[in-house]
Amino acid sequence: MPIDKKYIGKKYGPTTYVVGAEKLREFAYAISGGVPSMGFTGTGAPKGLNPLLHDAEAAKQGPYGDLIGLPNFAVVFSIAPFGQAVTDPELKINLAMLVHGEQEFEFFEVIKPGDVMTSTGVITDLYDKVGKDFLVLTTESKNQHGKLVVRGTWLAVIRHS
Amino acid sequence: MSFSVGDTFTHVRTCDRYRPIYYAAASGDFNPIHLDPEFGKAAGLGGNILQGLCTMGWAVEGFVNYLGDPGKVSKVTVRFSRPVMVDDTITVVGKVTAIEGGKLTAALTAKNQKGEDVLKNTVVEARV
Repeated sequence: MPIDKKYIGKKYGPTTYVVGAEKLREFAYAISGGVPSMGFTGTGAPKGLNPLLHDAEAAKQGPYGDLIGLPNFAVVFSIAPFGQAVTDPELKINLAMLVHGEQEFEFFEVIKPGDVMTSTGVITDLYDKVGKDFLVLTTESKNQHGKLVVRGTWLAVIRHS
Repeated sequence: MSFSVGDTFTHVRTCDRYRPIYYAAASGDFNPIHLDPEFGKAAGLGGNILQGLCTMGWAVEGFVNYLGDPGKVSKVTVRFSRPVMVDDTITVVGKVTAIEGGKLTAALTAKNQKGEDVLKNTVVEARV
């Protein structure tokens, strides 16, 4: 059964997330071939990693005055409304049949330690074709200054079971 | 740092055995299809697969290395066209297609060691 189109416009969130310096570092390490740990299994910053992403002293002298996250660290907090949507009991989505089809992010502000991100989401499109449902969710995450940090467009593809 | 239309950049990453676990720890995505080979096989995927958003992260990382400043990235668009499996080596190749009005645009490909696209329609933008 295709998902009812009446859910277009349904909203999710707000969810909040406090950005920590070590999480920003761990994320950069994991993407860049390292181990996301500051503990005994950690191996330090991967060779060649941009200092703005892990070296607080160097970053304080840099253009943003502090460490920043990789822009795609935004997935960590902006995924929350997407998670709520695909597990919404009213939508009856079988998660085993779901794949992440497409993703777009627009980045407006850098992500810094101590930022408090508030994320909301809205179903902006729902359609079915060739035996699959396509769900498009748009998320917006704002920081504690009320500035839009990232807008995400998430496409989930759900095979009919 | 100067940028020109036609510039290219290449970035190579291998999905080592623990990469999906490391990315799960960093991102919070602990879906068992990424962590558990048996679960991945049962889901018809032939094993555990890397989080698509990690592959997207490699595309962004390659672009960041070219730009020299992670804070300049303003947009990324990807389509996930094929799963990345453990031991796959992904080569990201980017080419700058336009620079105008303070915006740099690059088109990217991301292929596995067999030459198959793991990302399609991948476009990144930056403030320059």
